Amino acid sequence: MENYAIKFEHVSKIYKLNKKKDGKTKSNITQRFYALKDISFTIPHGEVVGILGTNGSGKSTLSLILAGISQIDEGEMTINGEQALVAINTGLNPQLTGLENINVKGALLGLNKKRIQEITDGVIEFAELGDFLYQPVKKYSSGMKSRLGFSISLYLNPDIIIVDEALSVGDKGFAQKCLDKMNELKDEGKTIIFISHSLPQVRGFCQKAMWIEGGELRRYGDVDEVCDEYAEYVDFYNSLKKKEKKKYNDEKFAKRILENPEISTWERILDKLKR
Amino acid sequence: MFKSIKYVLQENFNNVYRIYCISKYELLSDMRDSRLGVFWNFANPAIQIMTYYFVFGLILSRGNVEGVPYIQWMLSGMVIWFFISPCITNGANAIFSKTKVITKMKFPVSILPATVVMKELFNHFCLMILLVLFLLFQGIRPSLYWFELIYYLFAAIVFAISLSMITSVLNMLMRDTRKLILACMRLLLYLTPILWSIDRLEKTGWQLMVRYVMKANPIYYIVCGYRDCFIFHRGILYYGKQMIFFWIFTFILFVIGCTLMYKFKHKFIDMI
Repeated sequence: MENYAIKFEHVSKIYKLNKKKDGKTKSNITQRFYALKDISFTIPHGEVVGILGTNGSGKSTLSLILAGISQIDEGEMTINGEQALVAINTGLNPQLTGLENINVKGALLGLNKKRIQEITDGVIEFAELGDFLYQPVKKYSSGMKSRLGFSISLYLNPDIIIVDEALSVGDKGFAQKCLDKMNELKDEGKTIIFISHSLPQVRGFCQKAMWIEGGELRRYGDVDEVCDEYAEYVDFYNSLKKKEKKKYNDEKFAKRILENPEISTWERILDKLKR
Repeated sequence: MFKSIKYVLQENFNNVYRIYCISKYELLSDMRDSRLGVFWNFANPAIQIMTYYFVFGLILSRGNVEGVPYIQWMLSGMVIWFFISPCITNGANAIFSKTKVITKMKFPVSILPATVVMKELFNHFCLMILLVLFLLFQGIRPSLYWFELIYYLFAAIVFAISLSMITSVLNMLMRDTRKLILACMRLLLYLTPILWSIDRLEKTGWQLMVRYVMKANPIYYIVCGYRDCFIFHRGILYYGKQMIFFWIFTFILFVIGCTLMYKFKHKFIDMI
């Protein structure tokens, strides 16, 4: 096995934007937009990396790509090992009871019958549902729901775990419990990608951090350095006046638009259909 | 082409338990939704059948069709329509209704049409039990020909899955697909000789042309098959040309469906 878990080489992800319908622009071409632009990095096995970035900077896109759900458009990506995105509230059916939902989500995640039976006890214990186990999930509080969802996802046992804003739900106690569980996984030598807005959590949990801004990789390095720099940037951004902010954002946006993209005929037909 | 067929078949056969689980719990959650639960699975078709019987059996008084009471003749063909029709309408929505799942998980998308068909299969079995009881009550004796139902049901399943694979992908490209299908379902019901006998068309002139078109309809092939099993006791090989045409048509649908699934397998997430 190679000595790295994830390797990105000049990876780009392009999204299509619907053409503006403001009546001014008459161009018939669907614009293309860099969600991620020319990103390169290597993550060794067993490392815990935090990903920082403001809203719309491409964090979620990156997590989808890392999880193997979304495909990249340019560059090369190598992933050694099984990866999984911890998706909290997906796959829970509100009509069914907690116990049934363990089966549902387990099956959606592709576990076989035996494995689901194996994990059931662990999930029940971790989620602390008590008697609510036999109640339909629609009656759960949002915290309970995320506890259930999170626990099922964790029992997948992948080599690379991607956590996207997962701990922002639920109370402090549960967040701590999740962190403890993830620390356990860390000690087992799993690679963890941790996407969060909370600087203290990232500082406390990760060894390395990555800062993405406007779809580009700004900085990748030791957690404290990157966090400091990111905090500075956020302060700088917040200090801008409204107009300056708008100008700044527009410039950032303009940089991400693709100039004269090469579009195949097939793609062009799709564009027309999708309008 | 072979690569895409292999890909779809592999994904489906490797995930049989997943398909079973998804359809089982979807069904369960549908039933939990309402107080009477499974009752509606019977009540809904029963009310529809009563409507059709009232209009065609009593008001237009068909009397006997091909020497069989109208109600027996209609029901034995109608039962498979109640399987195929929801398969087509829900099948078109198979991928889109699971948007939440496919954007958050690595998920084999090509199994989704099969889950929809699996779910409808349960309803179909419920209806079949009712129909068999009704026919026994009407004095029709069970016969060995009933085993042919397995073949015709298999044909219906393959047809429904193949068609759903195409429509579900097209529905992701254009949401209009499902609207179009919903609008055309009633048309399809009356264009398929389920409520009226094809013998009402004469074998001359333009009506002969219509007859040919009707006979080419793959759904009509299955409807005829069901009727034969219950009432007319004809063998599978009775419809030579129709059978060949059905399987060629279904195979073409299947190949197109597989190709679309394979081509777009990673693109679904960007289509939402």
